[in-house]
Amino acid sequence: MFAEWLYFGLAALSVLGAIGLILFRHPMNGAMSFVVTLISLAGMYALLSAKLMFAVQLIVYAGAIMSLIVFIIMFLNIQESDLPEEKGRGLYLVGGVVVIAPIAMFLYKIVRTLPGGDTAIVGNGFGEVRNVGMILFKSWLLPFEIISVLLLVALIGAVVVAGKREVGK
Amino acid sequence: MEQTAHFYLGLIPLMPLIGAVLIGLMHVTTCRGHRFPDKLYAVLACIGPVLACIMAFQVFTILKTLPVEHRILVHKVFTWFSVGELNISMGFMADPLSSLMILFVTFIGSLIHIYSIGYMADDKTYAKFFGYMNLFLGSMLILVLGDGPVVMFVGWEGVGLCSYLLISYYNEDSSNVLAGNKAFIVNRIGDLGFVLGMAFLFWAIGAQGFDYISLKANAHLLPQATAMLVCLLLFVGATGKSAQIPLYVWLPDAMAGPTPVSALIHAATMVTAGVYMVARFSFLYVTVPDAGEIVAWIGILTALVSAIYGMFQDDIKKVLAYSTVSQLGYMFAGVGVAAYSAGIFHVFTHAFFKALLFLGAGSVIYAMHHEQNIWKMGGLKKKLPVTYLTMLVGALALSGCPPFSGFFSKDEILFSAFASGHKAIWAIGVLVAGMTAYYTFRMIFVVFHGEPHSKSSYDHAHEPPPVMTVPLVLLAIGALLAGFFNLPELFGGHQMVSSWLEPSVLDHHAHAEASTEWMVMGSSVLAFVIGFSIAYVKFAKGAQLPVFTGFAKFAYNKFYIDELYDMLFVQPYKSIGAIIWKDFDPNVTDGPRKAISWLYGAIGDAFRLVQTGYVRVYAIYMVIGLSLISLLISQTLN
Amino acid sequence: MIINYLTLSIILFCLGILGVISRRNVFTVFMSIELMLNAANLAFITFARLHVSMDGHVLAMLVIAVAAAEAALALAVVILLHKHKGVLDTNIFSLLKG
Repeated sequence: MFAEWLYFGLAALSVLGAIGLILFRHPMNGAMSFVVTLISLAGMYALLSAKLMFAVQLIVYAGAIMSLIVFIIMFLNIQESDLPEEKGRGLYLVGGVVVIAPIAMFLYKIVRTLPGGDTAIVGNGFGEVRNVGMILFKSWLLPFEIISVLLLVALIGAVVVAGKREVGK
Repeated sequence: MEQTAHFYLGLIPLMPLIGAVLIGLMHVTTCRGHRFPDKLYAVLACIGPVLACIMAFQVFTILKTLPVEHRILVHKVFTWFSVGELNISMGFMADPLSSLMILFVTFIGSLIHIYSIGYMADDKTYAKFFGYMNLFLGSMLILVLGDGPVVMFVGWEGVGLCSYLLISYYNEDSSNVLAGNKAFIVNRIGDLGFVLGMAFLFWAIGAQGFDYISLKANAHLLPQATAMLVCLLLFVGATGKSAQIPLYVWLPDAMAGPTPVSALIHAATMVTAGVYMVARFSFLYVTVPDAGEIVAWIGILTALVSAIYGMFQDDIKKVLAYSTVSQLGYMFAGVGVAAYSAGIFHVFTHAFFKALLFLGAGSVIYAMHHEQNIWKMGGLKKKLPVTYLTMLVGALALSGCPPFSGFFSKDEILFSAFASGHKAIWAIGVLVAGMTAYYTFRMIFVVFHGEPHSKSSYDHAHEPPPVMTVPLVLLAIGALLAGFFNLPELFGGHQMVSSWLEPSVLDHHAHAEASTEWMVMGSSVLAFVIGFSIAYVKFAKGAQLPVFTGFAKFAYNKFYIDELYDMLFVQPYKSIGAIIWKDFDPNVTDGPRKAISWLYGAIGDAFRLVQTGYVRVYAIYMVIGLSLISLLISQTLN
Repeated sequence: MIINYLTLSIILFCLGILGVISRRNVFTVFMSIELMLNAANLAFITFARLHVSMDGHVLAMLVIAVAAAEAALALAVVILLHKHKGVLDTNIFSLLKG
C-alpha cells in the first residue's frame, strides 16, 4: 500500500517536472524542473527493484549530465534577449497535444494487453551491482565496448567542435 | 582443300578491313603530331587488297576443282543474332557467281590502290584516303561474299557510307560535300527499297532460313504477287546503288571525289552491287517475268538517257560517269531479260575498261594539274603516249569495237534481248551503242588529238610515274582480252563465263539461228562504225568549244532533271521541314511538353512551401505521420 | 501495477515529443530528447522487473551512456551556435529551405 502511494507521488512529481520542462521559457528553469523528473524516476527504479540503476540514475543522470547542462547554461550567461521569441508557443502546444494523442492512445492500447504483474521488491541480488555486472560483462560485452568507443568518439568530437578558435581574433 | 577455301573465305573481307582499321588508328593517333611516312601507309594499304586478291584466286581455283553441282562453299563464322524465327549468322559463301565477282573486285581494287599511291602523292591526308579505300573494298567484299541478304546488307550500307566519305573527300569545298550528301541520300532511298524487299521476303518465306540456299529452295512457295513486290522493291535498292532511272542523279555528281575513287566506285565496287544483287536473286526474278521486263526497260531507258547526256558533257570525268550509267543500263537490260550471265559478264569486262578509262582520265587530269574540262586539253597524244594508247584500248572496249572485251559482253546482252523477243530493247541498245562510240571518241579526239587549247598547261604536261602507268597497262591488257573468256560458239569459243556461272544463276538460254546472231552482231558493229565516224569527222581535226542550242542545250543541262527533282522533292520537303520547324514544333509538339514541365514546376512550387528548412517542422511532419499510422493501426486493436 | 509504470513511461515520452515539436529553445529541445530517453529507460526497467531478468538494466545503463555522449556533443554544438549567432533558436538552422 505504501509502495503504491509512493508510486503515485513520484509519478505526479515526474509528470509535473516534465510539464515544467516544456513550459518554462528560460532553460535554467526548465533544467531545474527536469532534475525533479530525473530524481523521481530514480525513485521509480528503486520501486522496481533496480538497485544499481537507482544509484546510476542519481549519480550519472541527475548528478553528472544535468550538472553539465546547467553548467553550460550558466556558462553562456543567457539573457532574456538571447532567448528566441516563441509567440505561437501555446498554439504549437495545443496542436502538438492533438497530434500526439493518437500515438499515446495507440501505445496505451498495446500496454493494456500486457499481463499484469506485481511489483513487490525482489530479493536475492536482483538488480544489484554484482549480478548486473556479471550480465553486462558476459553477455553484453560487445555492446558495452561499442558504447565505450562511442563515448570516446563523442568526447573527441565535442573537443574538436567546441574547441575551435578563430585565427586572427 | 575445302578447309583452306573456308579459311580464305573468312579472311578475304577481313584483309582490307584490317588495313582500314590499322591505317585509321595510325592516322588518328598521329595526325596532330609526328606523322608516319606516306610510303608506310601506301604499303599497308596495298597489302590488304593484294592478299585478298591472291586468296580470291585460290578460292576460285579450289572451287574449280570441285564437281559442278558442289561448287558452293559456305563458311559460317559466328551466329550474329537470333530473334524468334530469324537466325542470322555472319556467313560467307563462295559459289561461281561470288567467286568471279571477288576475283575481279580484288584484282581491280588492288590495281586502283597501287595507282592511288602515285595519284594522291601530294595529298595532305594520305592515310585517311587509304583507310577509306580499304574500308570501301572490304565492304564490297562483304556484300559479294555474304551468304544471305542480311550480310549483304551490311556490305551494301558499308559501300554507301564509304562512297559518301570518299565523294566528299575534298571537304574544303562545300559543293563536294553536297555531292557526297546527294549520293548518300539518294542511296538511302534505294536502301529503303532493299530493306522493305528483304522484310517482305522474310515475312513470306524467311522462316526456314534466311540465306540464299534456303531462300532458293523455298522460292517456289512465294505467291506471285509477293514475289513481284519483293522483286520490285529489291530493284529499287538496285536503282539507288547502281544509278538507274530515277535514282541515277548521284553518280555524275560523285565525280567530285578523287579520280581513283571514281574508278573504284564505277569499276570494282558500289555500282555493280545492284547488278550483282539482281543476279543473286535470279531465283526470284525468274518466277516473275514481269519484274524482269520492268528491270530491262528501266535499264535500257537509263542507257539511252545517259548516253544522250554523255554526248554533251565537257568534263572528262562526267563523260565517263554517264558512260558508266549507260553501261549499267545495259547490264540491267541483260539481267532483266533473264540473261544473268551476260549481265555479269558485262560487269566483268566493264570493270576492266572502265577502271582503265578512269585511271587514264586520272593521269590526264594529273598531267594537266587538275584540269578536267576537255575543251582546255587537246593534242596530248604526244605528251602522254602511254596514257593515250591505254585509253584508246579502253575507249575501243567501251564503244564495243571487236575484238575488244566490251564488244563481246555488250553483244551478248543485245543478242539475248533480241532472241528472247525484246526487239524494242534490242533496237534501243543498238542505238545507244552508236551513241556510246560517238561520245567516247569525241572525248578521245578532243583530249588527245588536234591542237592544244591551252598552251601553258600543255607545255607542263608530262607522263605520270610508273606506279600509275603500270596499272594502266595491266588494265589495258585486261580490257583487250577479258572478252575472250566468254567467246561465243560462233567464233569457236566455249562461253566459259556463262557455263561457269551456270550453277549460280538461273539463266534463260535464248537460242537462235546463226544468221540471226550474225545479224545482231553486224548491226552492233555498224552502230559502232557510224558513231566513230561521226566523232572522227567532227572532232579528229581539232574542235572548238561548241555552243549548245535547242535540244543540245536541253541535253547539256541533263534535261533539267536535277532541277525537276529539286522542285518536286527537295523544295517541298524543305518547306514542310520549315513548317514543322517554325509552326508545328513550337506550338503542337512542344505543347504537351511545355504543359508537363509547367506541371512539374507547379508541383515543385507547392512542395517548396512544405520545405521550410526548420528542423522542428520536419519533426512535426514525422510526428503527424506517426500519428496517422497509429490511428490506422489502432482501428485493428480493440 | 506494471501497467501503471508503463503508462507513466508513455506520458513522459509523449511530453518529450511535445517539447521537441513545440519549442524553439535549443536547451529545451535537447532536454526534451533526454526526457524521451528517460521514458524509454523506465520502460526497460519495468520490463526487467516484469520478467525478473536484468538485461533491461544493462540496456538502460547503455542508454545512459549514449545520453552522456549525446550531451557532450550536443552541448558543444550549442556553444558553437551561441558563439557564432548569439542566439539559441533552432530556427536559424534553415539551410534546408527549398
